Formats: sequence, structure tokens, C-alpha cells
Amino acid sequence: MEIKIALAGNPNSGKTTLFNDLTGSRQYVGNWPGVTVEKKEGKLKGQEYKDVIIQDLPGIYSLSPYTLEEVVSRTYLVTEKPDAIINIVDGTNIERNLYLTTQLLELNIPIIIALNMMDLVRKNGDKVDTKALSEALGCEVVELSALKSEGTEALVKKAIAIANANKLATANEVISGEAKEAIKKIENIIKGEVDEKFLHWNAIKAFERDEKVMESINLSESKKAEVEKVISECEKALDDDSESIITNERYNYITEVTDKAVIKGRKKGELSASDKIDRVVTNRILGLPIFAGIMFFIYAIAMGGWSISIGTAATDFTNDVIFGEWVPGLFDVILGALHVEEGTVLYGLIQDGIVAGVGAVIGFVPQMLVLFLLLSILEDIGYMARVAFVMDRIFRQFGLSGKAFIPCLVATGCGVPGVMASRTIENERDRRMSIMTTTFMPCGAKLPIIGLIAGAIFGGSPWIAASAYFIGIGSIVLSGIILKKFKAFAGIPAPFVMELPAYHVPSFVGVLRATWERGWSFIKRAGSVIVVSSVIIWFLTAFGNVNGHFGLVDELFEDEAVVTDEYINELSAKMDVPTTEVNSMDASLLASVGDAASIVFKPLGFGNWKPTVATVTGLVAKEEVVGTFGVLYSYDDMDGAEELGEEGEQIWDRVRADYTPIAAFSFMLFNLLCAPCFAAIGAIKREMNNRKWTWAAIGYMTGWAYVISLITYNLGGMIAGEVAFGFGTIVAIVLVVTLLYLIFRKGYQPKGNEGLEMAVKINA
Amino acid sequence: MPLSMADIDEIVVIKRISGSDEIKQHLAELGFVVGEEIHIVSKNGGNMIVKVKDSRIALDKGLANRIFI
Repeated sequence: MEIKIALAGNPNSGKTTLFNDLTGSRQYVGNWPGVTVEKKEGKLKGQEYKDVIIQDLPGIYSLSPYTLEEVVSRTYLVTEKPDAIINIVDGTNIERNLYLTTQLLELNIPIIIALNMMDLVRKNGDKVDTKALSEALGCEVVELSALKSEGTEALVKKAIAIANANKLATANEVISGEAKEAIKKIENIIKGEVDEKFLHWNAIKAFERDEKVMESINLSESKKAEVEKVISECEKALDDDSESIITNERYNYITEVTDKAVIKGRKKGELSASDKIDRVVTNRILGLPIFAGIMFFIYAIAMGGWSISIGTAATDFTNDVIFGEWVPGLFDVILGALHVEEGTVLYGLIQDGIVAGVGAVIGFVPQMLVLFLLLSILEDIGYMARVAFVMDRIFRQFGLSGKAFIPCLVATGCGVPGVMASRTIENERDRRMSIMTTTFMPCGAKLPIIGLIAGAIFGGSPWIAASAYFIGIGSIVLSGIILKKFKAFAGIPAPFVMELPAYHVPSFVGVLRATWERGWSFIKRAGSVIVVSSVIIWFLTAFGNVNGHFGLVDELFEDEAVVTDEYINELSAKMDVPTTEVNSMDASLLASVGDAASIVFKPLGFGNWKPTVATVTGLVAKEEVVGTFGVLYSYDDMDGAEELGEEGEQIWDRVRADYTPIAAFSFMLFNLLCAPCFAAIGAIKREMNNRKWTWAAIGYMTGWAYVISLITYNLGGMIAGEVAFGFGTIVAIVLVVTLLYLIFRKGYQPKGNEGLEMAVKINA
Repeated sequence: MPLSMADIDEIVVIKRISGSDEIKQHLAELGFVVGEEIHIVSKNGGNMIVKVKDSRIALDKGLANRIFI
């Protein structure tokens, strides 16, 4: 028979670490509360356990959800009812963690307590008497260090045993005195309306006026009135509201338990190392400069053009040597052995389509791995949670909560989990706004775009990469200010309250694994989606209509009878390239389609068919922008002066020849900010759960990208002397004025409680 | 006085938490209950990091104003 065991506990108490250890899976673990926003199922490792399913749940502080991801846990524990619960209790913070335990005990499901982080408890000099704790709580308590996988074996065996025996906890009653009497009375009223087994739990929830439970019991009006009478009498007698009464009862009970079982080694008021670090990094004056410095340093190492820039060096090597010489050389040999001649369709497909397209993307993997490694270290240390705190002060001025920074942070890896991380935002309007703006952050797949532009046009300046990051944050902040003034988003953000994890030395294996997982998913996509798109792109560039003749454009271009000087001039005018630069690709199918669409991007400075096509393919996956560039710029020069071989640099040189710095920067901006890839759009659709809002999000992002790029190209270009004053300049100025108006206008003033709707209430 | 007025390194006892909404309940779940000791670790323009029970909680100014000590 299948046994379901749920892992329940406070956020950041190590549930996912234990889950990975028990099931052998590799779910993402981070050192901040709210990393897990979905429930995840896994089979317990080992043949003898093949019927045992372990369920990882988002962390919760109580069974009354406060944010959206907590609803998942409550629903699973209360409605679906696992066969047993492993309640993970952070041993360094027993009192607070036991609050949830007191609620779990009332669920009448077999439960075992896993006292986690015991290595830290010992290090702190605290003593926990597990036997006394177990007696006081009426259930088994097992010591554990999930990070070092100590004690997991024993825990699993016991959990399965209690599940099989359906052994319930024999807790002393948590609630005492008048409240206990009141709950007894409620039990008598609702008896028969609910399952006998869950009578006590339902009565307590009814006493707390829990809407969900009251709905599920479905009492008659007269019984409801009776319950309400009991509650208000008790509230009057104790001079407190019913929820607070229960909370106090729970804490009183916990104090009794911990008095018997826990001895603290550290004196109250003593500062731990974490506290001392917090004094510095969350300091009023130093907090922000430290954060900006760290981010700049990280991007400098990963993507800069200096001697410390390991990422850039590795990417240069991959581009110039591996994909510049080795791989094309290898394919030349293989193709030669198979008698596939240069100039044939198959040769072109493989070398100019697949090798060039995939190579252009893979080349950026080293840079990405370095960036991900550094970001993973920051997360694992516990610094990122502090950034949310430091940013709150700034975000709040603009009507955003610091919590909105967490999704942004996750989105620097990938937009999909970034959008999902918005579930930790309490206020529904703020949550929607977060979903709309989170993917402004440069995700991993956008790094190649940044890398290409920074490398090809700006000589690898780290400022380009760092600016991409701050443009992302800037767009989020400005969008926050602008959107908050509209009626649909008006309202004060929910107060900021967040638990900060203790700092710890990053786990070597954990960090490497997190880095590799992110990098690997990127490589996998390069091997699937990118191959397919590159092949399609190549086909569309290989065939076309040359002066009325349809066929392989390369072959047709060799034919002097077809390609007349007149035709070259015509093509050069149509495609907006100098006559000397016109080549076969400009006559391809893709060029004509791209050319027709390119008018849209003319005002942004890159209204040429190549970047237009690249931008559109970016919807499939953002790295495909660079993949497309790889295919489009890898054409053989007609004069054949340059041999295939230094391809990496060739692309850069050719890209440089095609764009002015400001047009390239505008192109980068548009691709960073516009609608994300299809995968992220899917995530937006799921989280919005509303068609109208999904389209509003996509429309807003694309509109924002367009406006920002247009302003940057026209005004920036004029300042740099690249763009002449004209109609575009006037439009840019009008847009700037409009933006300033939207930012500084008074905006809609919410009335009363308007805009304070909790996401939990609306979506649960 | 409100918690926001307390200085770094002070240890104070909660006397009252004003308001009655989801947030008050959430604060209670995090350990902010009447009679509990709070240790102020860091302050950043009214926002603060405090230790309550054994956890480290970041609060904004608005919330710190609602907790009386």
C-alpha cells in the first residue's frame, strides 16, 4: 500500500534539504524563507521503500496562511491528509517552531518531530533533552542534521512505522482554562457535523473564526449563532480576541514544554556572528553601497573585460578556439570523410546552421556559470535576504515592498521561478505588479545578448553588464511608481516583515550543484530548442527569391545572369545596406519577411531585417537572439578572403560593422525589457490566472521596452552625435515628458481599505 | 513607546501590539506576543532587524510603530 509522508515545518528549516536527501532528487535549496513555493513529490530512496511517497511543502508558520504559497501547505495537510507528517523543527529556534507543532498535533495525523540543525545547537552550547520533549509533546522526537544527512535513516524508519500503525500523538491539551471550556462547548455544538476524528481541530478553528473551516462545516444559522455566542462570551471574559487567546495559550504551553526540555547556552542579548555582520551590511549608510559594490564586482568577474574577469576569458576561449576552430574543424573532417562538399545544402545546414547557431549560444556558458556560481554563493551565505531588507527602504518610497525584490533576484537566474516567487508577496495588487515587472531583470538567457553587445560593440566593458542589471531594477522601480498611480494598483504595500536566516559558510557541493543545474538546463536548451530554431532560421536564409528566380540563394548569387548590377542596387536600397556589402542572404526568404516587419523597429535604430528576426526569435528563448545572430552573420564572404575558422571574432567584427553603439545599446535594451520567452509568458499566465491580466502584462512590458529604447536611441544618439535631430527626436521628447508626468502626477487616491486585499483571500 | 524608538542593542519587552488584522496574527506566529523580549540588532532609517524568540526578523517602520514597548 502506498504511504504518503509530508514534510511540514517553518520556512528555511531544511525541509527541501531533507527531501533531497530522502528522495535523491535535486530540488533547489536556498538560504532564505520562501524558496519552495510549490509542493513537490518524490519516491523514497531504496528498494524496500518503493511505496513510500515523500511530499515537500512550502514552509509555514501556522495553519492559517498569510501568503499564497502557504495555502498549498495548509490545503495538503488539512484536506488531503497525508498518512504521516514529519514536522521539521529548527533546533536553534525551538520555541517559535513549536508553535506550528502545536497546531499539527491537533490534526490527528500520525506525526514525528525531526529536530534539525542539531550540529548548530551543539555548537551554540544549547542542550535539548529529546526524551523530555518527546514525553511533553506525546510523539517521537528524532535528532537530525539534514545538511550532513545525520539521522535521516532512523527518522524515515520511524515515520513509516507510525504511518503503518496509524499511531497518533498523545499530547496533553495545549489549550487550557476558559478557552478550553469554550472549545468544549463548540465541540458539542458542531458534533455530528464533522468527522469525529477532526472534531477538536474544527472546534478550535471555529473558535478562531477561520472562514475556510466555517465554510466546510456548513452549520445552520442557529448553530452558527450559538458558536458565535460562545466565542464572544469567552472574548469578553478574557478581554482579548479569540485568535489572540489561542495564540497565547499555545505559547504558554510551549514555554512549559521548553522549560522542561531545553537549556540555552547563550545568554540573552548576546550578539552572534550573524548579528555582527548584519550591523554592517544592513547599516543605514553602508547597506546600499555595499550591495551595489558586490553586484558590480560579480558582473566584473563574470562579464567584464579585465584581468580578473574569469568568465569573459573562458567565453573568449570557447568562442574563438572551441567553436572558432576545433568544432568547425572537426565537422570539416567528418563531413569531408563523408564526402559532403563545401557549398552543398547539407554542409551549409550543419556548419552555418547548427554549428554557428548553437555555438553562438554555447559560447556564453562559461560566463553564465561564473555568474551563477557567484550568485549561488551569495544566496547560500544568506546575504540575499538582507538585500530585500535594505531595498525595502527604497522600494517603499516608490510604493513597493522590499519583498518585491525576491522575485527579481530569482529572475536573475530564470524568469519562470522568478514569476512564481511573487507568491510570497502578501498584497494582491502588489503581487500582480510584481508578476508584470519581474522579468525586466536580465535572466540567464539574456546574458548572451548582453555579452554579445558588450563584447562586440563596447570592448567588453563591465559597465554594460552592470548597467543591464540596474536598468532592470530601474525599470521595475519606475514601473512601480507609474503603475501605483493607476486605480488598479493603488494602495499601500503590505508591511514588510520577513525572517532573516543565519549566515553560514556556503556548502561547496550545494553551490556547485545549484550552479550546474542552472547551467545544464541552459545547455540542454541549446541542444534542443536552439538547434531546431537555428535549423529553421538557416533554411529560411538559404532559400529565397533572387531577381525572380527561386532557389538556393548562394547558388543563384553565383550566376551573373541572375544577379545583375541593377538588381544589386535595388536590393541594397531595399535592405538598407551598402552595395558593396550586399550578399546572398539579403535575398533570402527570412530577409524579405524580416524586412517587412523591420519598419516597427526603425524608430529604435535597429530597423534592419537581421535584428528584427533575432528579436522575434527571442520569444522562443532569449538566447536564441544570439543563436540567430550566429547564423545570420556566419555567411561566407563572397570574395572568400576570410576562411571559416575565426568565426567567433568574425561575428563580432561583422556585428560591429552593422551597428552604431547607440543602436546596439537600444537593441539590447529592447530585448532585455520586452515580452519574455514563451516559458515565462506561460508562468505569467498561470500566476495571473486571468487572460486580461496576462495580456496586460505582456503589453506593458513590450510597450515599456519600446518607449525606453526609442528615447535612448533618439536622445542618446543625438548627444553622442550619431543621430540627427528629426521627427524621432520630437517623439522621444514627448515620451520623456509623458513619462515624467506619469511619474510625478498625483495619481489615484485609494479610499479606505481599497487596494489592501490580501492575495491569500482572493486566490485561495 | 513604539518599538521604532528603541535603540540598537536595547532589550525591550512587548507591552501591546495595536491593530487587529492578519498582520497582527502573523506577527504573533513569528513570536511577537505581549510579554516577549525583543533585542534590537540593527536599524536602517526606521526599518529594523530584531531578535525575537530565537529568530531574526526584519520589520519596516510602520510595523515597528505598532509594537509598543
